[in-house]
Amino acid sequence: MADGHQHPIEHRFNPYAENGGTVLAIAGADFAVIAGDTRQTEGYSIQTRYAPKVFKLTDRAVLAVNGFQADCSEFVKRVMQRIEWYRHAHSKQMPLKAIARMIQTMLYGKRFFPYYTYNILGGIEEDGTGAVYSFDPVGSYEREACRAAGAASSLIQPFLDNQIYFKNQTPAPGAAPFVPGNLPIDVVLPIVIDSFTSATERHIEVGDGLEMFVVVAKGRDVSQLASLNAEEIPATNPGEERVFIVRRELKKD
Amino acid sequence: MFLTRSEYDRGVNTFSPEGRLFQVEYAIEAIKLGSTTVGIRTPTGVVLGVEKRVQSPLLESSSIEKIMEIDTHLGCAMSGLTADARTMIDHARVTSQNHAFTFDEKIKVESVTQAVCDLALRFGESMENEDAMMSRPFGVALLIAGIDELGPQLYHTDPSGTFVKYEAKAIGSGSEAAQAELQDKYHKSMEIKDAQILTLRVLKQVMEEKLDQHNVQLAQVTVERGFEILSDAQLKEAIDAM
Amino acid sequence: MSIMDYNGGSVLAMKGKNCVAIASDLRLGNQAMTVAMNFEKVFPVTDCLYLGLAGLASDVITLRERFRYRVNMYTIKEERQIEPATFAQLVSSTLYEKRFGPYFVEPVIAGISKKTGEPFIAATDVIGCLNFAKDFVVCGTASDKLFGVAEGLWEPDLEPEDLFETISQTLMNAVDRDAFSGWGAIVHVITPEKVITRTLKARMD
Repeated sequence: MADGHQHPIEHRFNPYAENGGTVLAIAGADFAVIAGDTRQTEGYSIQTRYAPKVFKLTDRAVLAVNGFQADCSEFVKRVMQRIEWYRHAHSKQMPLKAIARMIQTMLYGKRFFPYYTYNILGGIEEDGTGAVYSFDPVGSYEREACRAAGAASSLIQPFLDNQIYFKNQTPAPGAAPFVPGNLPIDVVLPIVIDSFTSATERHIEVGDGLEMFVVVAKGRDVSQLASLNAEEIPATNPGEERVFIVRRELKKD
Repeated sequence: MFLTRSEYDRGVNTFSPEGRLFQVEYAIEAIKLGSTTVGIRTPTGVVLGVEKRVQSPLLESSSIEKIMEIDTHLGCAMSGLTADARTMIDHARVTSQNHAFTFDEKIKVESVTQAVCDLALRFGESMENEDAMMSRPFGVALLIAGIDELGPQLYHTDPSGTFVKYEAKAIGSGSEAAQAELQDKYHKSMEIKDAQILTLRVLKQVMEEKLDQHNVQLAQVTVERGFEILSDAQLKEAIDAM
Repeated sequence: MSIMDYNGGSVLAMKGKNCVAIASDLRLGNQAMTVAMNFEKVFPVTDCLYLGLAGLASDVITLRERFRYRVNMYTIKEERQIEPATFAQLVSSTLYEKRFGPYFVEPVIAGISKKTGEPFIAATDVIGCLNFAKDFVVCGTASDKLFGVAEGLWEPDLEPEDLFETISQTLMNAVDRDAFSGWGAIVHVITPEKVITRTLKARMD
């Protein structure tokens, strides 16, 4: 200060970081796919090549969470705790739409010191349909047929608009109209894989590994999943909805 | 019982050596002084009926409120110190709205009943740093009727905070005779209209005055229409059909 | 907000089998306000070489005119048409001249070599660093979206009609997610014989 060259420097703690990675979810008629890569970054460094971002909440609900890793894991823990409390208080599994609404109230509850998390909830609704709910960090939410979030969301979302919502496509003359959210699983999974390989190619924060959770409605045929090396996560209520996980490698460079 | 009063009568939350909480037991006794209240469950809905004691010809019988709405799918009838029921129903309404707000679904009948019963034993001497608690047990019993994913249900709560599910239940001064009559006449596959008539018949039997549309009130929770207090016209129709 | 985003707009070029395609949106904006829906950002350099310019609109026009002048001078002096690879070097050096006060424009070049018949695409940053891609190049306010969709849809050795479909779908779906691009699109597919130019029926919102 004295010599006129020094300036007072304000040091301020920044409570947030951005840990890269990307997640997406797509709903089918009687299933939902919720996927995320496993790379965790800070700036240009890779902190770990395996940090799961997708979590099974109940037999019929899977949550993908992305943004600031510390907030993500804290938030998922809280959601899981609330789901457990609900099960004790009301003696039933929390329905998907109830989880969605609860997540909104939890996020909005921290409106003025938000969880820096982008959430996508996927699973099976009470009526047996596949569903995807997407959230912003302060709880604005919507049910959709598909959604991408995170570092490469801007790369993936327009691709999903095209492939899932059939945007800018017209059915051939006389052909049936396109209906979003009705694609079969053997079409959806390759779209998910292509989305992540594309994002890995062009985004430095995406890569290493891919985890795809597939939630299937009660009684649905799962033979297509067997050929994909899907591993089933044991259900708490056998005979109801089932959750499978399909893993793939992504480029590590 | 009143002859064996002892030290343990005074402390509202002190057990007697026999392991009893006298104040709670007296509160349950207070219910037996209340007006008769009946609830009947059917496969399509639940009917609630109350006797309104019109003590004076100058009293506006419409101002006696013994059946209240908790939510669109939940109703409640009371017997005993009805003023106490306001606190409980207030709590039930808040709980139900909160549940709908937080979970985007209708609360289960058992869950609101549990929430109301959680209040029942919050009496006693409050500590220094605590908010004022309630000084005595509630002197009211409730019949909580509602419909959720498990179908139509009827619950009974008493001042001890115990709740039990019933297919048909009577509380209040005429409850013993009324319950006996219900046991005799109730059958599982009743129509909602039959339940209305049975409710009225049971009330008629135990009432001192002659039953008319001014001294009874009927309400029902049905799958199609949710909770509703029957209008004068509907009530008259049911009385005429009896 | 960056000066690169002031007017909005995006350009994209793709290689196919013995053909290339280059496309742009048609929006001209003043920040969030749309001013025109007929602002083409792709210009012919020769009969089989096109230049796309996305960035600050005044610089787009300035550079278009400068390149027209310099290509004309080249054609007269050399008495031959400029090759795509040569033009790319011209673009690069022209931009690097302004190394410390650059034009706020990212160019995209697409053409077919008259000599070899080889398809050619390239792009540079604002100071002329060349990027010779073998698949596709993008620039403009929707560049990240364009990268994502192109990476998903593009495949090697597309025939002209398939290349047209691929570049059109890529452009439209990318600009539909970008507030600063869109409002119509134009595509040029360059083959050794001819150039097919089509205006797309795109979302206008």
